[in-house]
Amino acid sequence: MTALVDATCAAALTELEGLGSARLCALLDRASPSEAWASLEGRHPGATPDALARMGQRCEASGIGVVWRGSPTYPAVLALDPRPPAVLFVRGDLSLLAGRRVGVVGTRNATASGRHAAGELGRRLALAGVHVVSGLARGIDGCVHRGVVGTAGEGRPIGVVASGLDTPYPRQNAGLWEEVAATGLLLSEYAPGAEPLTYHFPARNRIVAALSEVVVVVESRAKGGSLITVNEAVERGVPVMAVPGATVNRAADGTNLLLRDGATPVLDADDVLDALSIDHGRDITRRVDLRTRPSAVDLPTYRRIVESPATLDMLVVSDGRSLAEVAMSVARLEMAGWVAGVDGWWETIGDTLR
Amino acid sequence: MLATIRSATLLGVEGRPIFVEVHLSDASLPGFQMVGLPDEVCRGAYARARAAVLSSRLVWPNVRITVNLAPSDQRKVGSALDLPIALGVLVAAEVIPPAAVDGLAFVGELGLDGSLRPVAGIAPLVAALRPVTPVVPVASAREAHGVVGEAMRVASSLHELVGILVGGEPWPRIPDDVWDVEEPVVPDLSDVRGQAAARAGLEIAAAGGHHLLLVGPPGSGKTMLAQRLPGLLPALDAETSLEATMVHSAAGVRLPSGGLVRHAPFRAPHHSSSMVSLVGGGNTFMRPGEASLAHGGVLFLDEMGEFAPQALDALRQPLEEGAIRVARARAHTTLPARFLLIGATNPCPCGGGAPGSCECDEGARQRYLRRLSGPLLDRFDLRVGVHRPTVDELVSPGGGEPTAAVRHRVLAARALAVGRSGMLNAQIPAADLDTLAPVDTGAAALLRAQLEADLLTGRGYHRVRRVARTVADLAGAEVVGEEHVAAALQLRVRLGVSRRAA
Repeated sequence: MTALVDATCAAALTELEGLGSARLCALLDRASPSEAWASLEGRHPGATPDALARMGQRCEASGIGVVWRGSPTYPAVLALDPRPPAVLFVRGDLSLLAGRRVGVVGTRNATASGRHAAGELGRRLALAGVHVVSGLARGIDGCVHRGVVGTAGEGRPIGVVASGLDTPYPRQNAGLWEEVAATGLLLSEYAPGAEPLTYHFPARNRIVAALSEVVVVVESRAKGGSLITVNEAVERGVPVMAVPGATVNRAADGTNLLLRDGATPVLDADDVLDALSIDHGRDITRRVDLRTRPSAVDLPTYRRIVESPATLDMLVVSDGRSLAEVAMSVARLEMAGWVAGVDGWWETIGDTLR
Repeated sequence: MLATIRSATLLGVEGRPIFVEVHLSDASLPGFQMVGLPDEVCRGAYARARAAVLSSRLVWPNVRITVNLAPSDQRKVGSALDLPIALGVLVAAEVIPPAAVDGLAFVGELGLDGSLRPVAGIAPLVAALRPVTPVVPVASAREAHGVVGEAMRVASSLHELVGILVGGEPWPRIPDDVWDVEEPVVPDLSDVRGQAAARAGLEIAAAGGHHLLLVGPPGSGKTMLAQRLPGLLPALDAETSLEATMVHSAAGVRLPSGGLVRHAPFRAPHHSSSMVSLVGGGNTFMRPGEASLAHGGVLFLDEMGEFAPQALDALRQPLEEGAIRVARARAHTTLPARFLLIGATNPCPCGGGAPGSCECDEGARQRYLRRLSGPLLDRFDLRVGVHRPTVDELVSPGGGEPTAAVRHRVLAARALAVGRSGMLNAQIPAADLDTLAPVDTGAAALLRAQLEADLLTGRGYHRVRRVARTVADLAGAEVVGEEHVAAALQLRVRLGVSRRAA
């Protein structure tokens, strides 16, 4: 009974004005949530029995659990964090935080190759039994978790989000959001119903960094939000790794700068497993490219796209064949999964054919 | 003391014959009254007609003058009634014998010096007056000639006209330049370097009547390409030519010599255009808008995402029906508007470029694409990526294929399509695709694979098949093959995020 009341009080405390994470931590280090609530009731305008009842209903209706500093289920990895969350809202399996965890983050405006790399990384890490922490944003975040939930591996997705757990954002990831809650773990510092406010995102990034043993950046712009996660990771002594990109790719400027500054390069999931000291030698999923190899007719077109992303016009010029013939080649390469197109540009996806 | 003169007024692109009745009465005080729903401009006829009569050294009767414009429940617009009103007064004052104006109808604006000035809408006005012989200002002869040929009279001033009607002087000759037919100067495709995909897009759009969306960063030549499309289209058929002439005349747009719009018009309204300026309507006589001015030709919307959403929405009716029905409390009319729509847009607010080079924040990008999407985006069979030409393309010797060569193929393909189904390929109903545009096994397999991979939607599927039919027609192929479908797929650029990789 007390635990239930404590949980509701802890949840309700997060909604009180003037009580940020740091103050709430200090408060909860000295008193249990129900004691803290009782002391505030009548003195803080928001601390009403009504608010408490509403919060209880809301958490129960959406199946949202609450852990707080001092509760027996509070994640051990966060106990010694420099700026720990005072209260966490939870859906899914908290025990995943006892497993191996890698954070994978990146830009929202990712290129096709970046998206593919993220998906592949998620898939391989999951197969190796590593849980993947990410932010469920558009772009890289969504792709890496799609890669994780798409496998039957032991590794599960851990999503840390910047809005209430019953308020999916972005909407296009709402399905993925549910899947992560069902098969993995979904965490938020914000009470049910909370909107994803701008200042929530940097705070969310710090939890992603805090929960990760290694942070991998797949694609980031020179001033991307992913670099906040990187700074949080560096502050906590979490190793930072980055996937290199082409120098002409603006979406990879940030990751390339990280590499220049000494981040460890990630060419595939094995590099991450190395960093976690996990033996990947027995990985039975190792490299069988199931894609049909391009025929001799399509090969020049493919090679041209490997060189750098190209438009149909460029392909026609470099190929010297007619538009219809080049179109056939591109269609075959696309169907076989070698290239992908957007806004009239074609780029390669997956491992390059050697 | 009573006179009736035939004339006509304009509603939309139609002329309506009217009678100008003038009554003089010395039983009451001198004055002037005009009834029969004249608009502001028309009301000014009194001042102009009176001054013109006096300047022509004639007498303005100092009596009570009543002018009725019959039928009196119809709006009369513009200054075309100046001349019939002045003549009516002169006939009623017995300066001109009534027999002299019998079998003639008059339109034209008067200057204070008695000169006869052109008015907008001469073509529909004289068309409505047939079989009565119209008398038009000499400067409007070209427009009238396109509709009635030589069955007209011209005059340059009121003075001259009175001399003819009263003194029996001969009618002046119709000026010679109305007979010449000058070929319009359209920009040639050979000026375009590279741009293989966009060239193919123009050719297919012209051959199949497919609406075309050009997607590319600023400076990639979208406008340059669109301007070259009218040169690929066939000359207008007789009916369309006449309809287009009516529209241009009613809108007061200068007609080419010969008086008929014979070649596909090209209209490029700015993106700040209002809904009324695009589809017409607005004031009392319902001026035709840009969509109607593009009738039989090309309507080019540059920066399509910047147009007001309601303006773009209003284009849906003409795209579906080939005409715009404008209705107002007092009247309604139908404006022809069958055109090929060419849209141009950037892929995102910053203009985009190679993958990864876009620097727009996600929200702005989504908003931009949302503005583009919606019902209008669905009308484009072709979505072609246009890119800044590479240095290699710019310095390559010689230009591209000239308009004449491409046009030759376009006309052949159009003849093939019309011979097969009686319509252009863009109009083939989905139900008839299997009989009119059968695909071979390779093409069927490619389409199936695209649908299964979720790279193609159901609606897109039909559009791709129509475009593939046109591609096959251009190649002279009976059955639509894999290469035709592949080309059609390539000319349907995916906007935003690549589905497969997402």
